[in-house]
Amino acid sequence: MAGGKAVSALSPAVQKLAALPILVTVATKRADGSVQLNPVWFELKDGFIWLNSNTSRAWPKNLQRDPEVTMLLVDPKVPDRYAQIHGRLVSLIPDPRHEFIDHLAERYTGKKFRDLEADEHRVTLKIQPVRVTGAEI
Amino acid sequence: MAVELSPKMQAFTQEVFPAIIGTNRKDGSVEIVPVWFEQKDGSFWINGGTNRGWFKHLQRDPRITLLLIDPKQMFRWAQVEGRMVNWAEDPGGDHINHLSHRYLKTDYQGPRTGRIKIQLEPLRVTGSIDGRG
Repeated sequence: MAGGKAVSALSPAVQKLAALPILVTVATKRADGSVQLNPVWFELKDGFIWLNSNTSRAWPKNLQRDPEVTMLLVDPKVPDRYAQIHGRLVSLIPDPRHEFIDHLAERYTGKKFRDLEADEHRVTLKIQPVRVTGAEI
Repeated sequence: MAVELSPKMQAFTQEVFPAIIGTNRKDGSVEIVPVWFEQKDGSFWINGGTNRGWFKHLQRDPRITLLLIDPKQMFRWAQVEGRMVNWAEDPGGDHINHLSHRYLKTDYQGPRTGRIKIQLEPLRVTGSIDGRG
């Protein structure tokens, strides 16, 4: 999948799923090649998937080493309906005023994000979708 | 070496929701899919057709990561790093039927032939259930 062409647009079914306040499962590769899975808040906007993390977490570090990422969205009502999205990290954007994480928190909880810890730094990750597959259990 | 699940993890893994599994493709990319699972005696058991991509990946690289997440409370989750230690044919589909009863409380409606059951042993647990990672 490395080097694949970006998809021009996600299908209406995937867009509908992505509009729900569900978590995306993010798969990254550790240095030893094993798979790390994390549930993550996201937003689909302008054809990109936008994530946000504390910079000290392992998964954004994994992505900086290896920008290939696989993400899974599961229909909360029909768990055997899902979309697997392969993508690539295209940019890492500091979020010093935690505006984007506040925006994501509003989407999921209706409130701003909690107060940041003293040494906490947030970063926004812009992901280009490259390929989408879906199937049933 | 396999790790023993904590009492909290023992209880959490009795709850009924699909596990999300991640396996390594030959080209280095990751496949993730939801699957039914059962935790029994400290091992995780999943079931699939021999033609599933993830089973082929596991035969080449037995490492597997499971994400378990409460669909009603997203902050309750665990990541289990493990590996395939065993697999066997599921003649007649007894095991998939058993899983179907765990998830749907009814007999399995899909094909019962060409299925296998796979035993996974946990090597490391992180996430909010044990309060680590």
